[in-house]
Amino acid sequence: MTFRLGYGTNGFANHRLDDALRVIADLGYTAVALTLDHDHLDPYADDVARKVEHVANLLDRLGLRSVVETGARYLLDPTRKHYPTLVCDEPERRIDFLNRAVRIAAGIGADCVSFWSGIQPSSVDEETAWRRMLDGIARVLDEAAKHDVPLGLEPEPGMFVQHLSEALRLREELGAPRLFGITLDVGHCVAVEPVDAATCIRRAADLLVNVQLDDMRTGVHEHLEFGEGELNLPATLAALIEVGYTGVAAVELPRHSHAAPVVASRAFGALRAALAPDSEWVSDVDHPWLVEAEEKVRREPASIATLFPAVGRKVGRAPLRPETDPKGLIHGTVDDLARTRLLAVLAEVLEPALLATEIAQLYRYGDDAERRGVLRGLAALPDETVPTGLELVKDALRANDIRLVAAAMGEFAARHLDDHNWRHGVLKCLFVGVPLAAVSDVDKRTDDELLRMVGDYAEERKAAGREVPADAVSLLEARA
Amino acid sequence: MRIFDPHIHMTSRTTDDYERMFEAGVRALVEPAFWLGQPRTSVASFTDYFDSLIGWERFRAAQFGIRHHCTIALNPKEANDPRCREVLDVLPRYLAKDGVVAVGEVGYDSMTPEEDEVFARQLRLAVEHELPALVHTPHRDKLAGTRRTLDVVKESGIDPGRVIVDHLNEPTVGVVAESGCWMGFSIYPDTKMDEQRMVAILREYGTDRMIVNSAADWGRSDPLKTYRTGLAMLDAGFSESDVDKVLWQNPVAFYGQSDRLVLDELPGFAPSTETFAGNSVLRGGGNT
Repeated sequence: MTFRLGYGTNGFANHRLDDALRVIADLGYTAVALTLDHDHLDPYADDVARKVEHVANLLDRLGLRSVVETGARYLLDPTRKHYPTLVCDEPERRIDFLNRAVRIAAGIGADCVSFWSGIQPSSVDEETAWRRMLDGIARVLDEAAKHDVPLGLEPEPGMFVQHLSEALRLREELGAPRLFGITLDVGHCVAVEPVDAATCIRRAADLLVNVQLDDMRTGVHEHLEFGEGELNLPATLAALIEVGYTGVAAVELPRHSHAAPVVASRAFGALRAALAPDSEWVSDVDHPWLVEAEEKVRREPASIATLFPAVGRKVGRAPLRPETDPKGLIHGTVDDLARTRLLAVLAEVLEPALLATEIAQLYRYGDDAERRGVLRGLAALPDETVPTGLELVKDALRANDIRLVAAAMGEFAARHLDDHNWRHGVLKCLFVGVPLAAVSDVDKRTDDELLRMVGDYAEERKAAGREVPADAVSLLEARA
Repeated sequence: MRIFDPHIHMTSRTTDDYERMFEAGVRALVEPAFWLGQPRTSVASFTDYFDSLIGWERFRAAQFGIRHHCTIALNPKEANDPRCREVLDVLPRYLAKDGVVAVGEVGYDSMTPEEDEVFARQLRLAVEHELPALVHTPHRDKLAGTRRTLDVVKESGIDPGRVIVDHLNEPTVGVVAESGCWMGFSIYPDTKMDEQRMVAILREYGTDRMIVNSAADWGRSDPLKTYRTGLAMLDAGFSESDVDKVLWQNPVAFYGQSDRLVLDELPGFAPSTETFAGNSVLRGGGNT
């Protein structure tokens, strides 16, 4: 199981909230960072309770997980941006607003409430500002405790707390409260942190309750689309996987509302590409042998029977993401990727019925690596091969080789495998030690029956005095 | 002592054996395809067995820090059964696989015309697939069988340096030594060879082209016989490097001719039993 990709509603300021949520879900995002604002679930509206209920239902229907953001510009003071703040002379309205945000977060089932310090006024000295932060946060924590909603302090360039280190120090001084977490904007890391975003992620690790995704340039606090700045997006996302982050990671482009649907779609594409093996790894398999093999399969499709087994010997067998996935269970291996490419070529030249027969043969006479290659390649094949693919996936799920089980539970299974077999596949992963990060769309497909099965499994482990796998615990907790 | 067991039927062995083998120094092995102790009745049971040799058993061995390879063939015993002979048609598919380092076990059981034909045909497959060949010598009428084996090898045109003739003993070692083929010895608790007799043969013939295996299977056998032979060699005054040559370098040189040996250490494998203790893979391996 991994983190959820989302989009911030502050990048949809020109949309009605319901419309924004629908567009975001339709684009493939499974989470949303909801900025409370005058037209987006206004906490000061008379009918706020009814609206909270409405939004909660809509999020549920759209399968969107959420975090609450409190960075609206003119919600509290129509003349002064972001005012009042926690560090100004009269922070009461800010504290009241944050408390309202906590209650709304509880009402819509959001992961957390995210907030920042505000700019230090020139008339306020360092020590006073620091004390005001401690006092203000302590008061919001009281409300947070009543509703069990975590808070995430976001270091914000130009504000009083602008570095991760300061946020962590504040937390320490408050006695490291359980509900005090960190919101990290990875673009901010590029702009003002002394180390890169991946390092910041590792530093905050377990304290992360919310992540904002965007690109930036060193020293410039301007939210950019991915690729326009200096952020290493694949390495950043890999670090999130590495630290086991399972919360919301939402795109933060508050100045792109004028073209929101297009920008959000582009961002989703960039995120998917960054989560897929990156160009450096792909070039590992862009091996002269593979290029030639693709040509050969195109000319003479039957040659795949002898090329397929040779792939590992020719292009290697290393995992694609060795740092975070040393066994290649989650992202696969170089030879897996090369085999997927051969299958994609085969799909171009063979008519579907013949293609289905050939992949069944490749699997039937394949060793473990070839079978894995077929399983991981299924998602790239045309719909006519789905029935054959399902037979192969079910066969693999009867095996005890964890690499086969992991490969079987990818995108193809997420899309096509029936609920019963899919649930048993997930349970098998927990049972044999396949990380749930290897299972595509766990969050989307998890249902009550799976939770019942996993709950029973956890009970069985406890009864035997054995540890419950961490993935099982997180799955149960995420839906508790 | 690092040990490459060039002939052991792990499919018939338990995880305890894998653990003891790793402790004794076994880091790689070859599992030749053979019969199952009772006759097969169809091609399907061969292919399921081959699938296990190139898939499940490799995976199982890897859990214990041991690199698993195999040889694929129709064995001489079952070459006599027409229901089994059709497996020859699917052999080319399997000979292309990663973990397959030779064609074998081929050779003679009862020296029938059927065995003649199947043996010769499989030596041709070895040449075609650029693989070495592992040749089994018969239990009965062994010397005559070994001579006939060497004749067939010669006729086939395969380079004798790419052939190992296995299960040798005092009466049969001489002719194989002259032929240029590699010499394999299976060290057993009470049949075939024992450690002391093996040491005597090494004294007489030297260590070149000499390969020692446990050939452990479902019968009375001991997967640590390679290790015990190493100890017996040291006791008899052979050097550590002689032992390394017989138990590691020679089998690596022979099967290395396939270009398919993988001998680097398995990732994350520390030589301690703690590694196994918390390993959910091992737990799941038996239970699901």
